[in-house]
Amino acid sequence: MKILALLKRVPDTEAKILINQEGTGIKDEGIKYVINTYDEYAVEEGLRLKEKMGAASTVTVVCVGPEEATELIRTALAMGADDAVHVCDKALERPDPFVIAAVMAKAIKAEGFDIIFCGKQAIDDDMGQVQSILAEMLDIPQVNVATAFEIAADAKRATVRRRVEGGDEKVETSLPAIISCEKGLNDPRYASLPGIMKAKKKEIRKKTLADLGFSESPGEARSTILRWLPPAKSSGCTMVKAEEMRDAAKELVRLLREEAKVV
Amino acid sequence: MTIQGIVFLVFFVAVLAVFGLIVRLLYRILRAAKPEDRFDRWGDRIKAVLVYVCAQARVLAKPAGMGHFVIFWGFIFITIGTLDHMLGQLIPGLGLERIVGRRLGSAFILLQDVFGVLVIGALAVAAVRRFIQKPERLKIDDPAAPRQAALILALIFVLILFMYGLKGTEILEGSARLTKTNAPVSFSAAEMMRGWHLNVPLANDVFSWGHNLVIFFFLLFIPFSKHIHILGAIPNVFFRNLGRPGALSRMNFEDESAEKFGVSELGDFTWKQTLDLCACTECGRCQVACPAHATKKPLSPFRVIHRLRAQLMRDKGGLFAKGAGVLKPTPVIPENVSEDEIWACTTCGACVQECPTFIEHVQKIVDLRRFLVLTESRFPAEVQPVFKNMEVNYNPWAIGYSSRADWAAGLGVPLASEKRSFDVLFWVGCSGSFDQRAQKVSRSVVRLMQLAGVDFAILGTEEKCCGETARRMGNEYLAQTLIQANIETLKKYKFNTIVTACPHGLNTFLAEYPQFGLSVPAVHHSEFLLGLLSKGALKARRIETLRGAYHDSCYLGRYNGVMREPRALLSRSTKRVAEFGRRGRSSFCCGAGGGRMWMEETLGSRINEDRARELLGLGVDHVFTACPFCLTMFEDALKTLGREDVHALDVAEVLLEACSR
Amino acid sequence: MANDILVFGEVRGGGIKKITKELIGAARRVSAAAGGAIDTALIGAGARAAAESLTGYGLRKIIVAEDEVLARYSTEAYAAVLSDIVKRGAYSYIFLGATAMGRDLGPRVTAKADGVMFSDCVDVRMEGTRCVARRPVYSGRAYIEIVRSGDRPNYISIRPNNVAPAEPSGGGTPIETHASNVTRDAIRAIVTEIFPLEGGRPDLTEADVIVTGGRAMKDKANFKILEDLADLLGAAVGASRAAVDAGFAPVAIQVGQTGKIVNPKLYIACGISGAIQHLAGMRTSKVIVAINKDPNAPIFERATYGIVGDLFEVVPLLTEELRKVL
Repeated sequence: MKILALLKRVPDTEAKILINQEGTGIKDEGIKYVINTYDEYAVEEGLRLKEKMGAASTVTVVCVGPEEATELIRTALAMGADDAVHVCDKALERPDPFVIAAVMAKAIKAEGFDIIFCGKQAIDDDMGQVQSILAEMLDIPQVNVATAFEIAADAKRATVRRRVEGGDEKVETSLPAIISCEKGLNDPRYASLPGIMKAKKKEIRKKTLADLGFSESPGEARSTILRWLPPAKSSGCTMVKAEEMRDAAKELVRLLREEAKVV
Repeated sequence: MTIQGIVFLVFFVAVLAVFGLIVRLLYRILRAAKPEDRFDRWGDRIKAVLVYVCAQARVLAKPAGMGHFVIFWGFIFITIGTLDHMLGQLIPGLGLERIVGRRLGSAFILLQDVFGVLVIGALAVAAVRRFIQKPERLKIDDPAAPRQAALILALIFVLILFMYGLKGTEILEGSARLTKTNAPVSFSAAEMMRGWHLNVPLANDVFSWGHNLVIFFFLLFIPFSKHIHILGAIPNVFFRNLGRPGALSRMNFEDESAEKFGVSELGDFTWKQTLDLCACTECGRCQVACPAHATKKPLSPFRVIHRLRAQLMRDKGGLFAKGAGVLKPTPVIPENVSEDEIWACTTCGACVQECPTFIEHVQKIVDLRRFLVLTESRFPAEVQPVFKNMEVNYNPWAIGYSSRADWAAGLGVPLASEKRSFDVLFWVGCSGSFDQRAQKVSRSVVRLMQLAGVDFAILGTEEKCCGETARRMGNEYLAQTLIQANIETLKKYKFNTIVTACPHGLNTFLAEYPQFGLSVPAVHHSEFLLGLLSKGALKARRIETLRGAYHDSCYLGRYNGVMREPRALLSRSTKRVAEFGRRGRSSFCCGAGGGRMWMEETLGSRINEDRARELLGLGVDHVFTACPFCLTMFEDALKTLGREDVHALDVAEVLLEACSR
Repeated sequence: MANDILVFGEVRGGGIKKITKELIGAARRVSAAAGGAIDTALIGAGARAAAESLTGYGLRKIIVAEDEVLARYSTEAYAAVLSDIVKRGAYSYIFLGATAMGRDLGPRVTAKADGVMFSDCVDVRMEGTRCVARRPVYSGRAYIEIVRSGDRPNYISIRPNNVAPAEPSGGGTPIETHASNVTRDAIRAIVTEIFPLEGGRPDLTEADVIVTGGRAMKDKANFKILEDLADLLGAAVGASRAAVDAGFAPVAIQVGQTGKIVNPKLYIACGISGAIQHLAGMRTSKVIVAINKDPNAPIFERATYGIVGDLFEVVPLLTEELRKVL
């Protein structure tokens, strides 16, 4: 079985996000980059499926990202993935979901696949669109926000549980399909040292846009970012005080509803 | 030569031959084990033997050790006497007297005679202790152990009886060399036997043969019992760790095709670690010193060594086997040591400190952890995020590394990257940087340094976790990555000393960073601050109302000998300082070391609560600590025990208070 | 046509989900500035009944697709139907909820219809002739305001509870039936079963809202006041290690470094001091409310909102006040 796991290089969840002077993006200094959290679940699920299916199965990591993404791809290889495809091109510095999906679709069609795992969204842009656009481009079914995955005995179908408001849905899908992963699907393994050593020798197929057959840009940007803004509430605790405790409670409720918008 | 003599000779040679094979097998096992360099500093090593073997220094550290001292020397004298006797049987006329002369020979006979009684006395005490008193330290879940012990005690007793019988009958036969003066006890024995109307020459032969047979049995029996320590202990003391106790071994990751890291079978240990197994006297002192054992965790260092030795005996194969020296590849885990035991260790080092024969338990446990972590990726689930956090953000919590210096905001703390050359590098550490409670200690240290006008700086966001906790948890690869990164950073700046408020950081700088090429003076903040106080750079006024007990951290006191300085600081800052019963090098662990800080404690009772109860028993309302882990552990325990009226303070906080009045 | 908006509403149990009204509210704001009609599309079982309840909202028309094949959700069938509706109506903007369905359907339809999508927006408004959407990025640590380039259909999914829901405005809206031409065999992935949350309480590690009690709870029984609050908010209940050790709560709900690590949108910490071991388990929560008697408790340094007070007084009051507005 040929299993693909999509991987994106994103800033660590703890990185200090500050908007740059020009207001055109975030400041890059001091940011540590990691594998997108949800993509870790994807890699892990791919590995578990490979272990279940046996020797003939492989897990290939597919990443569209800058040169620096290589070390993160190696981490996925250290976890046990067999090889990787890394699409790296200057023209892809700030691509939008359609462009990424188009590039991935080309790379993936060239690879061939039986199933694709990916994260439900990338924790930098939080768009969560690429997997569905990709599914449409590849003309395969999709199941998003998977919390449980089980392949059928004939390996032609799978049963996936997905998270919705107020509960879970069970979805039956034919394969090939793309499955986007949610937290709780599995616990990603910690790469062993022999795994790390072996990863150094595993193949990463580097591709530029030209290699994939794009004669010109894979698509123009479909949107423009007008401005970047800091979060609504600056850091620091708002102490809610009042003469009567009931009024304090009322005020807190108001803040939670209107300011924080969490209830 | 008589027929007896020939028969004896045959026995003698046979037994010696088998014994020789045994020794050869043990030697081969050691040869086949992993290498380790313990061949330096012969002078110090010989000294160690004199102090710890001849003078039995560690043995005598506990009163009961007197018994062993007596039995040990008694046995030596008796053995010399035995050799003397056997030589005499092989070659009549040859004996000790012939070699050392009459006077010395006679003196020796006296020594032997007197010691025989002393040994019997010691044996009686030993039997009472083991079988009637049944102390905690001798408890081991192996029914063979007390049986072996009983057998040994009985054998030695019988041996001595035979010795007196032999000498007594020799006296009855009319001996020139044994007189009332130099063999008083044997003389009394002779008198007693006179009334038995024995066939004296026959009796003499019987005692002689009995004596020899016991010895032969002993020779063949010792290697397969705890008495293998007779062979192993002296070399083990000779090859003791002369380096800092707080240094774990450095692993080499150059071989990229290596499939296994750490220890999973006995054959993975170094020869010294294997020798350790042959040096265990089963005294159990490590067990009673162990905080995990004290709180009823499955771990006992005694048990670990005992089980490993038993495994060694099983895995070694037959004496005459072809591939002698190659151990069977039986896994250590879980057959002989369980994962629960391995993870329960706080690496406090109390076991290593207690051991009379210098066994190094902690390193073995870490080696087993290395296997679990590096090769199998098998470790408590709570630890995985800790590893990941250290990889990404260089601290065990998932806190962005770029906020590492936020604790110092507004304090005017100079950064190394700005100053570039300064006297003191204040190593803040992960707790001191990110833990709100420990940040208060960092600020206290900074304030004191500023008051004293110290030329210092911090690395700020360039500082990464020192790697100590990763190393103790067995993640040597991660630890080395952090260590090497820190060394790169430290090399950029010019400074004279590292001062740190964290004993774990201190220990790793002193004991482990040199393994990677950086040897820089490092002191604990209590030492440094005391220096400032003594110089007059700081002035303290005692806080009369502050009463507390000082808790020695394992990594500060036991591992690095810093015990006087924090106390000196406290006596200048507070009115009275109480002392824990378990203090100094015998301090009781707070429970956080060895990576336990990051793990849930589900087995047995809580180590920190045990220590907190001891504190509460002292009737003070403060405990003074000098380590961020100990501080957290005390606060946690006091809260659980519902005693938030008792407060934990770092010595720096106390000093700052005293200097601010 | 030029600025017509299609609101994709969601149906639940024969009625409309609240998000639909919020989307209509957003659409009204945009249409007030940009001109253009607002239509609503409803797909699936109970769509027609749900449509009836929307006829008084001043919409131009409500399009209903309620075939057998659409009874259970499937991305492909719904995407085919919706993209059909979009093409026919030549809408400029399509609003969806940033819900499980919206997140799954939106991008697929966008791809089918060659549009552009802005996910998970918190605000939509017109700036001149452009429709600007504001959305969080980096898990809410920054926001961007984004517009489409060109004039592809702009799909915009909006977060629930961020826009005021529309109120009825009278008038009658015609309901139009849309016949789908999707066949069952064309659908390769379909929902076969639905599992509602058991006991109404989500799993700690996946909960959006968590209410946690510390040692100050004093008793197992006292956790009831937290449970009442949790029930109201659809939240999970957690406990600090101290509370678990004291036997007030089971270890399964322990939050902290050695317990569960959680990441909810709202974390209400009752009687919790906020020592690092606990913080390590919940510090990434979007909004932290701390209720503690001790004004110096470390948790206030990390909280978004804090009340210094006795939790036994504050928590029930909070529950009451919330009940009034929810």
